Amino acid sequence: MRAASYSRRKARNSIWTILAYAATALGLALLSIILATLLWNGLGGLSLDVFTKNTAPPGVVGGLLNSIAGSVIMTGIGLALGAPIGILAGTYLAEYGANSRLASAVRFINDILLSAPSIVVGLFVYQLLVAPVGHFSALAGAVALAILGAPIMVRTTEDMLNLVPNTLREAASALGMPRSLVIRNVAYRAVMSGLVTGVLLAIARMTGETAPLIFTALGNSLFAADPRGPMSALPLISYEFARSPYAEQQKLAWTGALILTFAVLALSILARVLSASARRS
Amino acid sequence: MADQHTVRAFDKDLELLERRIAEMGGIAEKMVIEAVDALSSGDSALAHQVVETDARLDTLQREIEEQATLTIARRQPVASDLREIIGAIRVAGDLERVGDLAKNIAKRSVKIGMEGRAPHAIVGIKHMNDFATELMKDVLDAYAQRDVERARDVWERDAELDALEDSVFRDLLTHMMEDPRNITFCAHLLFCSKNIERIGDHATNIAETVVYLVTGSTLPTDRPHGRQETDLETGAGADARGAIK
Amino acid sequence: MSGHVQAQAPVRAAIGEAEKVVVRNLNFYYGQAQALKNVSLTLYEGRVTAFIGPSGCGKSTLLRVMNRMYDLYPGQRAEGEVMLDGENILASGLDLNLLRSRVGMVFQRPTPFPMTIYDNIAFGVRLYEKLPRAEMDARVEQALSRAALWNEVKDKLNASGLSLSGGQQQRLCIARTVALSPEVILFDEPASALDPISTAKIEELIDELSEDYTIAIVTHNMQQAARVSQYTAFMYLGELVEFDETNAVFTAPRDKRTQDYVTGRFG
Repeated sequence: MRAASYSRRKARNSIWTILAYAATALGLALLSIILATLLWNGLGGLSLDVFTKNTAPPGVVGGLLNSIAGSVIMTGIGLALGAPIGILAGTYLAEYGANSRLASAVRFINDILLSAPSIVVGLFVYQLLVAPVGHFSALAGAVALAILGAPIMVRTTEDMLNLVPNTLREAASALGMPRSLVIRNVAYRAVMSGLVTGVLLAIARMTGETAPLIFTALGNSLFAADPRGPMSALPLISYEFARSPYAEQQKLAWTGALILTFAVLALSILARVLSASARRS
Repeated sequence: MADQHTVRAFDKDLELLERRIAEMGGIAEKMVIEAVDALSSGDSALAHQVVETDARLDTLQREIEEQATLTIARRQPVASDLREIIGAIRVAGDLERVGDLAKNIAKRSVKIGMEGRAPHAIVGIKHMNDFATELMKDVLDAYAQRDVERARDVWERDAELDALEDSVFRDLLTHMMEDPRNITFCAHLLFCSKNIERIGDHATNIAETVVYLVTGSTLPTDRPHGRQETDLETGAGADARGAIK
Repeated sequence: MSGHVQAQAPVRAAIGEAEKVVVRNLNFYYGQAQALKNVSLTLYEGRVTAFIGPSGCGKSTLLRVMNRMYDLYPGQRAEGEVMLDGENILASGLDLNLLRSRVGMVFQRPTPFPMTIYDNIAFGVRLYEKLPRAEMDARVEQALSRAALWNEVKDKLNASGLSLSGGQQQRLCIARTVALSPEVILFDEPASALDPISTAKIEELIDELSEDYTIAIVTHNMQQAARVSQYTAFMYLGELVEFDETNAVFTAPRDKRTQDYVTGRFG
């Protein structure tokens, strides 16, 4: 009797194990196919020109310089705007707010923003910063990106700070350390790599957003460094070139997507490596 | 809050100690009675029996000390438990000495058994012994009941035993002076009376232990004494120390 | 003895002992729940006082009142008086950071900061004093020596505080506290997370420290309380049941509850 039920359990165990492996394989396969497709189609277009020449009309040899630069600038500004808000808000939630009504409300809103449709955010910023001014700007784009990136940093910061044991804070307070110093010198230091991970994840998201930039930064065929005017970005140009009937522009679209994907991939891996080393220490 | 230890084995250890002490007490009491019976009746068989019984007492004392040491090592007792165990060690020591004193009396009774003189002195000694036996019985009861009042009572009554010993001493002295042939015999009886007086002292030791065990404090060091001061003892006049504290 | 009689001052001795911390009619609340009920006792200067009692009796709560640690948490409040050298530390408007530099605390789990060993010590000092490098070095060495840790770490002051063993980390925490030259040191079960050898070292350390500091130690290990302290307070359900010289508590306690607890008869 026992032997029979045991072998039944073993059989069930095998089935579920196989299913688990199969699902993993499916996921990995999809990822591999995507990467392979990107590599297949985009690698061909990868050349020094891509990084040295601006986008050009069809027929002229061009690159993606202005788009890459634009992505970097807008993400940079977005980070400068969003990171302080994100980290400080996360600090508030973890250290000061705890279970207060305000903190609960902030957490709730943050969760909503985390999964807010990015196009809605773009439209919102359009109403705020583009329509009244009369022209598109990279600044507006950066603001939109900041709105999308900050919630990630809020969440990560709060989670990381919550991991700091209370006894560590108490030990610092017991020395007579004022609250702000406790947070700055003890809590932050204890979870520094965790905070950095949050920032990296936010960057990864910001770099990849397309929809909000359509209504804010618009795009620019020329090299632009002034954030007060429209600026190009990698996702924008990939979107634009992908719809173009011209082969070389389509190729550049693939290349742009390739650069974007691998940049995000690299950042994610970096984030993982950092958090793993933090857990080990 | 229970009266038993959370670790029940601890209670068993303590119970074992108590049983052994009770056994020792019973044997010691019996030995004291029978030793003087043998003395007064000249029954050498009884005397030999008493001598042999002492071995059992020694064994028990060793066992109690061993058990107490083990309990201290294993249980790290404090407060009342600690006092119990220390008390058990002390009482065992006192009882073993009482056994030795009784054995000594029995041995002497064999030596003088043939002679059977001075019945008056023997009566005095018997009287002393009855008193000492009562002290032992009462103090052992006090120990079993952890009764401080009863122990204190024993502690004070020993003064009477000391007084009795004094009178027997004088009696025997007179006897020896009357007839030199009595000297050997009376000398033995002197030792016997001294032994009985010492049995009384051990009873007061046990009484002090009982008080310490229950309250954690000790009785005053100056026990009331009933004896007359001799020239050997310094201090003020004979009656100065007669006051009961 | 009635269970409601408030424990008096120690019956024996305590004559000629200077009072360092005097607790009077202390009541403590976690929200609505009362954790300490009318507690009064005295910590004598240069002496080690142990707080013992079953879980939840309030001994850690009492300890944490003495450096106002409960202030970190809303909803916890204390009523009554706690006099440190005659000054009531429960008064509002008191400089808490200054208080905590005078009354240090060592916790149950070692809590080294995520910094180098040197910085762990220097950090606390820098809060109050600006010392040149040489003086700071001397201060760090002094603190580590006091905590019996100097010889083990003098060659690796730049290693992370987290790289030390548990016992060493705890001594680092003690060094950190001592570096501020406090007057009172509170130990909250300092050795319960350590192995027997480290525990013995900590006890020896407490012995040495008591020459210069007034020490209060919460412990659930009664033998430890008997070993390190001169005074012992037994607490039960938020009340101070008995407070006396340690010798008395462990040979002849006055209250039956104390007796039952120290002999292991608590059912």
